[in-house]
Parts: sequence; C-alpha cells; structure tokens
Amino acid sequence: MPPSQLKQLKASLRDTGVLGPQNSKKQKRQNAKSGANAQNRVQREAALAAIRDRFNPFEIRTISRNKFDVTTRDGGTRAAAGSFHPGVTKSVGEEKRRQTLLREMEKKNKVGGIMDRRFGENDPSMTPEERAAERFARASQKKLRKDSMFNLEEEDEEEEFQLTHKGESLSFGAGDSVQDDFEEDLDADEMSDSEMPRKRKRVLDDAEFEDAEAQDEEEVPGRKKSKHEVMQEVIAKSKFHKAQRQMAKEDDDDLREELDKDLPDLFDMLRSVKAPPKPEPPKDDLAAMNPERAALLQGKSREETEKEYDQRLKQLTFDKRSKPTDRTMTEEEKAEEEAQRLKALEEQRIRRMRGEETSGEESDVAQGEDEEHETDADMFEDESLPDDAKVFGLQQPTGHSTSRPDGVEDEDDFIIEDDLVETRSDVSASFDEEDEDMTGSGEEFDEESEQEDELINGLTLPEGKPGDPGATAGAQETVDGLAYTYACPGSHEEFLQIVENVAYENVPTIIQRIRALYHPRLHSDNKAKLGRFAAILVQHVAYMANQPEHPPFAILENVLRHIHSLAKTHPESVSLAFRAQLRDIATGRPLNLRPGDLIILTGVAAIFPTSDHFHAISTPAHLCLARYLGQGPVNRLSDLCTGTYAASLALQYQSVSKRYMPELLNYILNTLCALSPEQPSASLGSFPLRNPTESLRLKPSKSLNPRKLQFWDITNTTESGDLKASLITTLTSLLGTASDLWASRSAATEILEQAHSVLQHVARSCSSSRTTSKKQQQQQQQKPQPQVPTSLSDTVQSTLDKISSHLAQSRRARRPLLLHNHRPLAIKTAIPKFEDSFNPDKHYDPNRERAEANRLKAEYKRERKGAMRELRKDANFVAREKLREKREKDAEYERKYRRLVAEVQNEEGREANAYEREKRMRQGKR
Amino acid sequence: MPTAIDKTVGSKKRKSPKESGVPSSKRRAVAENESTESMARIQQLEDQISESRKHYNNIATLISMLSTDGPGTNPDLAAAVSLCRVFSRLIAGGNLTEPNHAAENEKIVVAWLKERCREYQKILASIMRESDTSSQITALTLSMRLLNERAIHIPGDDTQEWTSGLFRTIFEAVVEARDGQALQSEFLRKFVKPYEDVTYYTFLQVADYAATARSTEILETLVTLLSACDSVPSPEHDFEKFYIKTSKQNKKLLSFNSHKKRAQDAWLAVLQNNLSQPLRKNLLRVMVHHIEPWFTRPELLMDFLTDSYNVGGATSLLALSGLFYLIQEKNLDYPQFYPKLYSLLDADLLHSKHRSRFFRLLNTFLASTHLPATLVASFIKRLSRLALNAPPAAIVTIVPFIYNLFKEHPSCTFMLHRVIRDEEFKAELEAEGMDDPFDPAEPDPDHTGAIDSSLWEIESLQSHYHPNVASIARIISEQFTKQRYNIEDFLDYTYQGMLQTELGTGEKPLKRIPVVEYQIPKRIFTDRLLQEDGGLDTVPGSLVRALWDFS
Repeated sequence: MPPSQLKQLKASLRDTGVLGPQNSKKQKRQNAKSGANAQNRVQREAALAAIRDRFNPFEIRTISRNKFDVTTRDGGTRAAAGSFHPGVTKSVGEEKRRQTLLREMEKKNKVGGIMDRRFGENDPSMTPEERAAERFARASQKKLRKDSMFNLEEEDEEEEFQLTHKGESLSFGAGDSVQDDFEEDLDADEMSDSEMPRKRKRVLDDAEFEDAEAQDEEEVPGRKKSKHEVMQEVIAKSKFHKAQRQMAKEDDDDLREELDKDLPDLFDMLRSVKAPPKPEPPKDDLAAMNPERAALLQGKSREETEKEYDQRLKQLTFDKRSKPTDRTMTEEEKAEEEAQRLKALEEQRIRRMRGEETSGEESDVAQGEDEEHETDADMFEDESLPDDAKVFGLQQPTGHSTSRPDGVEDEDDFIIEDDLVETRSDVSASFDEEDEDMTGSGEEFDEESEQEDELINGLTLPEGKPGDPGATAGAQETVDGLAYTYACPGSHEEFLQIVENVAYENVPTIIQRIRALYHPRLHSDNKAKLGRFAAILVQHVAYMANQPEHPPFAILENVLRHIHSLAKTHPESVSLAFRAQLRDIATGRPLNLRPGDLIILTGVAAIFPTSDHFHAISTPAHLCLARYLGQGPVNRLSDLCTGTYAASLALQYQSVSKRYMPELLNYILNTLCALSPEQPSASLGSFPLRNPTESLRLKPSKSLNPRKLQFWDITNTTESGDLKASLITTLTSLLGTASDLWASRSAATEILEQAHSVLQHVARSCSSSRTTSKKQQQQQQQKPQPQVPTSLSDTVQSTLDKISSHLAQSRRARRPLLLHNHRPLAIKTAIPKFEDSFNPDKHYDPNRERAEANRLKAEYKRERKGAMRELRKDANFVAREKLREKREKDAEYERKYRRLVAEVQNEEGREANAYEREKRMRQGKR
Repeated sequence: MPTAIDKTVGSKKRKSPKESGVPSSKRRAVAENESTESMARIQQLEDQISESRKHYNNIATLISMLSTDGPGTNPDLAAAVSLCRVFSRLIAGGNLTEPNHAAENEKIVVAWLKERCREYQKILASIMRESDTSSQITALTLSMRLLNERAIHIPGDDTQEWTSGLFRTIFEAVVEARDGQALQSEFLRKFVKPYEDVTYYTFLQVADYAATARSTEILETLVTLLSACDSVPSPEHDFEKFYIKTSKQNKKLLSFNSHKKRAQDAWLAVLQNNLSQPLRKNLLRVMVHHIEPWFTRPELLMDFLTDSYNVGGATSLLALSGLFYLIQEKNLDYPQFYPKLYSLLDADLLHSKHRSRFFRLLNTFLASTHLPATLVASFIKRLSRLALNAPPAAIVTIVPFIYNLFKEHPSCTFMLHRVIRDEEFKAELEAEGMDDPFDPAEPDPDHTGAIDSSLWEIESLQSHYHPNVASIARIISEQFTKQRYNIEDFLDYTYQGMLQTELGTGEKPLKRIPVVEYQIPKRIFTDRLLQEDGGLDTVPGSLVRALWDFS
C-alpha cells in the first residue's frame, strides 16, 4: 500500500528541496547579496508547479491512443498536443472572458469613460519609479526637440511660456519647469509600449535578446531592461562594430602592401627564373592560417574568432562560382539560331492553325469546359433545355434585333446605300500628286534592319531633355517644316492637329520621331502613351485611306509597318484598335466597305496571323470579308472592284491555312457570270445567282486591253470595257489560285466543277460573237475564234486547264469516306471499384471538385461547431456573472434588512422592556 | 312609334339654340354669313317637312343642294345630315311603307318618297367613293344610320337590306372608295369589329363580291378587311353585340356555324380569285393563323395550296406548312410531296430569308422514322451539296440537322463510313478513283443513288474558315454519342450575330492577348526592297500585290 497523500506530498517537497533545513542568517545575507535568492525563488516556483501537477492528475489529460511519431518541418506540434491541461485552458478562457466579455457587460448601457494613455500605465513590468523616470525623460526630450533650428531665443522660451503672477513666475521648484501631466501624456502616446507597432517591438526584442546573450550571465534573467538601456547598448554595439570594421580595413591595407612587396618575386617566377628562396616571412602571415589560430595568436577572444569563422563560411557558400562565359558566335551559328527561332515560331503558328492549344492554355480551356459542363448540369437541374449550339461557341447575341443595320431585313436583302455615290462624287480622280510623293519616302528607312526597333533606329534623339518633350513641341522647326519634338497625342483628333499642315510624305517622320521621343526606356509612362499612339495610328490609316486625295501607298505601308512593330510591344492596344475598326465596319457599313476598311483588312493580313484556327482579330476580319462577298452589292463596276479586292484579300488570308470559303467561290463565280458576254442558259452550279440591276456584260472586242487592276478602281465611276476585261482576268486568276488551295479537299470535285463550268461558259461566250448563228457557233465550238484579246483568253484557258487537271486528280484520289474508325465505346461497367487498403477516414472521391466541396463543408461544420461552443460558453459565463451579481445584491439586501430588523428589534425590545417594566411596576403597585 | 317622335322632338330641341344663334353670328364675316344662311335655310326646309306633308317637295330641294356640282364632289354635309334626319323620321313614322288599303295618291306619295330615298342613298354611296376623307366617313356614318332605321322600321326588309339593299351599296362603296384607307379602317373600327351582325354580313358581301374576278388592289383591300376579323369565336360564344337590335331575332346570326361558314365562303372566294404573286405569298403567310381557323372544311384549301406549292420558289416554301397540315390532319393524298420538297432544295434556298422557317418545316417532314433510307439519303446529300456554297449560318443549321437524320436512319451512315470488301472494286478504286454515284440532276429522291455516295462535302467543310463552323462540321466524324441536337438552337444565326459574338458590343479587355505575326513584312503594297530579294516576291501578301496595282 502506498503511503498516504499527505506523506507523499511531504516527501516530494523535501526531495525537491522546497522544505529543508532553514538557512542560517549569514547564508541568507550572502544569498541576498549575490542574487541567488531570486534564483532560488524561481526554482522553488517551478518545483512547486511540478509537484502540483503530479498530485492533481485530473489537471492533465493524455490522449488515449498514441499515434505514430512523425517528424515534421514545423516541429513538434504533435508532441505538444500529447497532453493537455483542461483546467488550465478553462481558466485561461475564463480569464479572457473576464477581461473582454465582463468588461463589455459592465460597460453596457454606459456612455463615456476615460482611457488612460499615460506612458507605462498599462505596463505591469514597470515599477512606479521607473514609470515616473521615463515620463520625465520623455518630457525633457520633447522639450529638447521643440527648440530646434527655428527657435531663435532659446533661453527666453521658458520665460515666454511661464505663467506669472505679478511678475513672478509660478513655478513650483526652482528652475525645472513642471509640465502639465496632460501634455506629457500626449507625448507618451506616440511611443507608448502598447501602441507600438508589433513588428518594431519584435525587432527591439530581438536586439534585446542578442544583447542578453552577448552580455555576461550575471544579470537576473527575469528582469527586463528598460528601453533606454537597450538603445544605449545598441548604439554602443554599432560603435564597436564600426571600430572593428575600421580595424579590418587597416589590416587589409597592410596585407595588400605586403602582397605588393611580393610582386617582383611573382614576376621572377613567371619568367621561370628561380629566384633565390626568400627567407621565411614572419609568422604573422595571418591570411594563410586557420583564422581561429590566427586570432588566438593575435590575442582575439575566442568568441570573436568563431563569429568570424562563421561569417567566412557563409561567404564561401554564397560565393558565385565563376562560369565560362558565352562564346562569341560565328555567323553560321547565328544564322542557325535564327533559323531555329523561326522554325519554333512557325511550329507554333502551325499548332495555332490546327486549333491546338499550347500546353499552358490547355488546362485553362479544360477548366472552361468543365465550367461549361457544370453550367450545363445546372441547367438540367433547372429543367430548362441547354443550348446545343453553345458548345460550339455559337451564341445568339443579346439585343439581336436592335443591332442590325437599318435596311437589312435579312440575308438576301441588300442595301444599296446612297452615300457610296456621294463619296464617289467627292472623290476627284487626283492621281497626279501621288507620283511626286512616292519618290520622297522609302529611302529614309533603307538601312533598317528587321529588328524590333528598326523603325526608330535611324533617328537619334534630339538634344534637350527627352523627359518633357511636350514643353518644346513645335518649338524647333527644321527646314522641312517639321518639329523635332511632338507631344504624344492622346486621341486621334490631337494627332490630326499635329499632322494638319504636314505633307503626307512627312507623316512617317513624325511617327518615327514620336516613337523615338516616347521610347518606353525613357520614362515609365511612355509604354501606355505609345500604346494609345498605336491605336491612334490604326485609326489614322483608315482615315488617310478614306481621304479623297488618295495618299500614296508607300506612306500607308510605312504606317502599317509602324503599327506592326508597335503591335509587338503593345499587342493589346493595337488589337483592340483593330477590333474597334472591325466593329465599326460590322455595325455601320457591313455591305459598303470604304477604301479605309479595305486597307485595315489588308493590314490585318500583314500584322496578324490569318492562318490561326481562332484569332481575336482575323476571325472577325474573315467574317467581315465573307459577309461582304456573300451579300454585298453587285450593281456597279466599282462594287465589283471592291468585291474583287475583298476576294483577293480573303484568298490572301487563306494562302497558308488553305481553308475553304464558300462565299469567296460564290462571289467569283457569280461575278464571272455577271461579266461574261452572254447570260448562261442554265444554272452552272449551286451558287446563288445575283444579277446586277443593269447589265455589266463585257462586249467582246479585240481592242480591249486588260490591265492590272488598280486599287483606286474601287472608287472609279466610269465604266469601260478595259476594266471589265481586267476584272475577268483577275477573277479568273483568283479562281486559279483558289483551285490550287482547295484541290486537296475531298469535295474538290464538287467545288471545282462549278468553277469549271463557269469558266467554260466564259470562254465560250467570249469566243462566240453575238452575230453568229447557232450553227456557226457549233462549228466554232471545234475551233473557237476568240473575240477578245489573247491575254484574256489565255488566262481563262490556262485556268481551265489547271482546274481540269485538278478535277482529274481529285477524281483519282476519291475514296469512300471512312470517318468512323473509332474504337467501339465501352459498355459502362457496373462492377464496384474496390480499394485494397480502404481507410474509412479517407475520402475516395474521384471528382476533385466534389471532394474539395466536401472538405470545405467539413471545415465549415467544424468552425460552426467551434463558434457555437464558444458562444455557449460565453452565454454560460454571462449567466454566471449575472447570477453572481444578483447574489451579491441579494446578500447586500439581506444584510441591510437584517441590520434594520435588528435595529428595530433593539428599539422595540427596549420599548417592550419599558412596557414590561411599567406593567410590572403597575402590578407591583397593586 | 314613340321613339321616332322622341327623336324629332329631341332634334328640334337641339336645333333651337342654333336658330337663336343666327342673329348673333350676323356680325361675323360675310362668308360665315353665307354658310349660316344656308344652314338656316336647310333647317327651315327640314322643319317644314316635319310640319306638313305638303312640304315634301323640300326633300327634292335638299337633295339638289346636297349635290350641286354633280354626285360626290363637294357635298354639302349639312344637307346630307338633315336629309338623314328627315328620312329617319319618315321611316320611323311609317311614311315609307305602303299600307295595304292605301289610296292611290298615298301610294304615289310613298313611291315618290322611296324613289327620293334611293336617290339619297346613291348620292351617299358616290360621296363615299369619290369625296375627301372626312366626307367619306360622314357619308358612311349616315348610311349606316339609315340602314339601322330601315332594318328596324320597314318590316321584312332587314335581311334584304343587308344582303342586297343598302348594305351592299355601302360595302361596295367602301371597298371601291378612292383613297379609301381611312374609310376602310373607320368601317372596320366602328362597325365591323364591334358588331357581330355587321361582321357576318360583311363576310357575306365579300363572298358575293369576290365571286367575280377583281383587280389586285381590291383584292388586297378585301384581304385586309378579312384578316382584320381575325378573332375566331369559340363554339360556345354568345353572339350579343349587334348593330341593329332586331337582329337578335335572326337565328342565323346567333349560330356559330353559320358565322364560320360565311367567313369560309368569303375567304374561299378571295382565294379563288386571280391573285398576284405577292398577295399569294401574303395569304400563305397568314394561312395557318388567320385563315385556317375559320374553315370548317379545311380541305377546301387544298386547291389553293397545291396550286401555290406548284408555283415553285418562295411561294412553294410558304405553301408547305399549310399543305403539310392538310396531309397530316385531313388525310390529303399528295404523292408528289417529297419529290416536290426535294426540288425545293435549290441554290437560293440557303440564302433566302425563309431559311429557318423552311428548316423548321423540313425537320417536321423528315421526322418520321418510316421514311425510306434512300429518300433520306438523297435529302442529306442534297443539303450537303448546297452547304458547299452556303453562308456559315446555313451550314451551322445543316450539319446538326444531318446528324439528327443519321441518328434516326442508321442505314444512311454508310455515307460516312463505307468499307470496301470487294477486292476487285478495291483495286479499281486504287487505280482510277471513283465518281460520285449521286446524280444531282435526278428529280426523284428515291433514285438519286445518294445512299451509295459519301459526304465528302461536309468533310471538306471541316476546314471552313470560321472556327465554330469547322468544329460543328467535325461532329459527323466523331462518335455519335449525343442523342440528337436541338435544331431550334442552330436556326437563327446571321453574319451580324456571329460578328457580334466575336467582337462584342463595346470595348472590353481581351482575355488572351492575340498573337502578332512575328515578322514584319518588308512590303505590303509597294515593291519596297524588291531588288534585295532578287526581284522575287515571296513575302506574305504577294498574292494581292501580284494582282493589284497600288499606285
């Protein structure tokens, strides 16, 4: 049987030395002097705590089941959780509540209160004396701070602020002014310990800690040093370090001198002349030695040397190893690298053309799809039908009806707008200016390289501050009337103002100067400015091309190239500007393209890869072109010219990716039918025939002279046979190119057969003149006598031959379709999936999103539970406190009541006694 | 006749302040004076008529006043109004009916009055035909009031008045009126729509009127009249709102069937007239909603519909739905339906504005799983041929449509996947390829040979320039896991809509920054630096540069 609790306690107390023989007086005094007393006290406290714990096993609860020990990076959280103190936590919680909740309760329904912000008021670690001293120090410091450089009368200041009474100062003591408590508090505010940002506090703590380490151990560990002391220590330390650094520098200098002395020897060695062995250098060559030993030799303290050693070690680890530098590459290698780069870019382009995503984007897309599926699922739940078309990216735009341009009722109604005619009347054919303009441009940039900044290389920055070019804008004018500096325009109107009186050929110079002036390297804002400028340039190209005086194409080309090079650095703003242009076209004039629109669309072909499967700019550009080709007007020759240009552009777009474009084919065939000298007797294919309102048929004659089409034919109003003939030639050659592009398609036969029959019709109707009778015509069928210039008929004939060969080839290559060589779909299995090492606590949800959601749910539940527990505890606490208060009140009341009763009884008793006495006296009398 | 007396008294009372107002207005302008004078004179004449029979000759005076410059031009409306009052009074007083035992001179008076009344009606009709709008409307109101009086007070006259008498005159005048839009809409608004008896008899008149061939404009007017009465009453409908109170006694007017019959007759008469093409299209457009509900025997529409269907083009397209309704509901036997439908699939169909309408119908027509596979294959092949020249919006419709057809007629899927087992044929294929077994010129969809063909066209469209169209075309080469596509979702696309989805409506930051061509081309329009390349233009854009002269 174990001994009783009391005995155990006594034994343990004795063991730990809490109880023991009493110290003698002398010993006590000694202890007090050396500070061992305090230490003893600390030890005793610890021992007592341990004993208390041991004797109250319910204070500690251990976890019933042990888990495997693991070592984690964060350290033993698990170990700490091994046993916990419910009583302690409870009391901690209680204490916390008492500090917060109880306070709140007490303050409830009460307004006001004073916050004590005096320095050190809430700091329990400070003694009142310390507090007073600190406050005084602060006050005096503040005073010092106050008489700074602006104080002219240092001495008089005190006088000025002193209160006087009848000329005598009202100070309490002699000399030192007593400041108001309030003022003092205000100072204290700023630096009060509790208000200090935590971070700084920690820094200070750290410093303190280091100091404590560095200093001797004599200090009592429990006692904290005052801030002042700490600061002083820090200052002292930094001074010390500074001195050390200086010393080290001097040492280095010495060492260097010594090395310099050895240099002649080294030269001797290099000359491979064995120099006579020098006498051993004196032993103080410290650099070569173990630093520790050197330090010992030098008499440094051990600690210092160790520190130095550590430092050096660290330096060594962080030292960069020298690496071999890149070798200068030869021309071939450079070329090869360039080729590699181009190849990689081309591969990327091909990937985009196939519609494959680059790896980084793939996951995004997948996610997007997931979301889509998710929304689909949601929609199913809502019992509304999902839109099948959405999966393919087709969406019915909202506000569908409003966005349609006026007049277009539907697909086959075409608007013939009148402003087309108007603009044409404005346009006076002014070709004469252009030739002059052509000469000036181009040469300026001859030596441009193909690098990124090529377009601004030619220009050196003008003198003067590049930072504020706006200030000097237009100030320096050169001979050609151009300023060197321009303000970067923020809108197209501003740019128009800049180029208002400038000849076209100088516009590129201005652009170049603006680009140079606002080069992004010069100022951080310039990138945004240039982005805006690039967008303005896009607007300006369209604007220039719409001008009636037809600016030279060299200029347009140059500006487009500028845009392209800006697009490399500012792809976002340039593409947004292009999209805005396309949007204008799509909403404002979808079937009435202006020259500017055509230039913009040409620019798209040059600047953006049109072969991409999907591209934010080329896809809508395609649509714009296709829409024009499919629905645009075909009533005048100028319409046909515009259409032919659009068709060439569309073909240009597809020259790499070789995609099929029904509208292009329809347009070419329809226009050929409309231009051919005779109307086809029967339908030549499944393309819809759109006939112009008045006949545009070619009158065949030998004198026709088909030429290369000119861009400005699109605004040309005159009708001439030449133009018709050249249109036919161009369209035929377009058809030839298109047939080349599409010859490999599996439906090439169907596509090209139409083209073949139309071309045949054209050839036939060109060769047979109107006057010949049918018989003659049949005779001529054998040997057609072309009525048109040979160049035209040759083109038609050669294209016909080409298409025929394509047709023959595609017939030979035709095989029945084999599209469904898919692996058969697996039947859905119903066998449950077994997990070998199943753990019921683990979640085996294959759906990651659901698992995530479940995890979140669990977390939410846990948090909720915790919050509820806390709230419940709070409520308990509040109830308890209320009860306590009530009890106190009751007790108070009871006490008061008792007192009163007793008082009354006392009095009553006396009266009763008096009465008794009286009675007895009366009785006695009787 | 207490009502009539009341009326006369009332009208007298109404007139009295006017008479007193005459002297005061004397002070006004001379022209005003004249008009007031004539007003006073009219009033005087009218009063005299009501006072005594011997002043009946005043009626003739009034009539002559009404049409001073020939019938229908510049009518004196005051005279017309007062005449209307006079006749109303006379009719209500029984002065226009011949008592059985009347004396000879009585009879003469009555006959004379009747003659005058007829004359007055005629003048009113001519006013309606030829005068200006306000007079037309007044004349219409007066005529209708007169009609009301006649129908009520002349015994045994009401049906006759409606069918052949006054109402017929009114109706014809309204229909044939010059610049009659306002008059017709007034007629519709005031009389036809609110009063069911007027509606009924209007139908009757239309049927009579349209029995003979009429001009296009008149037919258009008739169609507007008829289609304005678009609310077909339900069989339980109570006919209550009558213009003439006594109409209630007429059994025919109370029956739902007779109403329907009248409407049907009216429509039939119009439909059988010689219709112009636009009018025919218009009629076909409203056929299902406005015309068919009136018909108790819709098969009567058959002739019209088959005729329209045979016209071809858009008209046939429009006739389709009506015809299909007859085939489905009324067992109409129309063996040429599918060949005809097949012939409708021509080059212009996919570009027409009726495209989505047609596809909705085609979806219904080809929904049956009992259709022969050869026929369905022909339709599929024809559609895909057309898709080669179609705008993207049409391709987007066609491909899911074809998918659905494949799903319902699996025997057609050979058009997508055909393994050649015959070694001989295989060798031949390898040697010289093949022609398309499909014969596009064959009009009969059962004999086109499409089922032996393949859908190369759709496969080619997988490389369409528009990415979304291309990806839709790709569904035919993937596994057919989806049960069917909802065609409705693919129908109403346009270039505008597609562009809007691509471009959005406003400036929005792009999700992904678009790729920019990595190489800045040396030239876009001009021959810049051409010598450096040895005169050979290989830079992108060479195609356009080769064909166009930029100067």
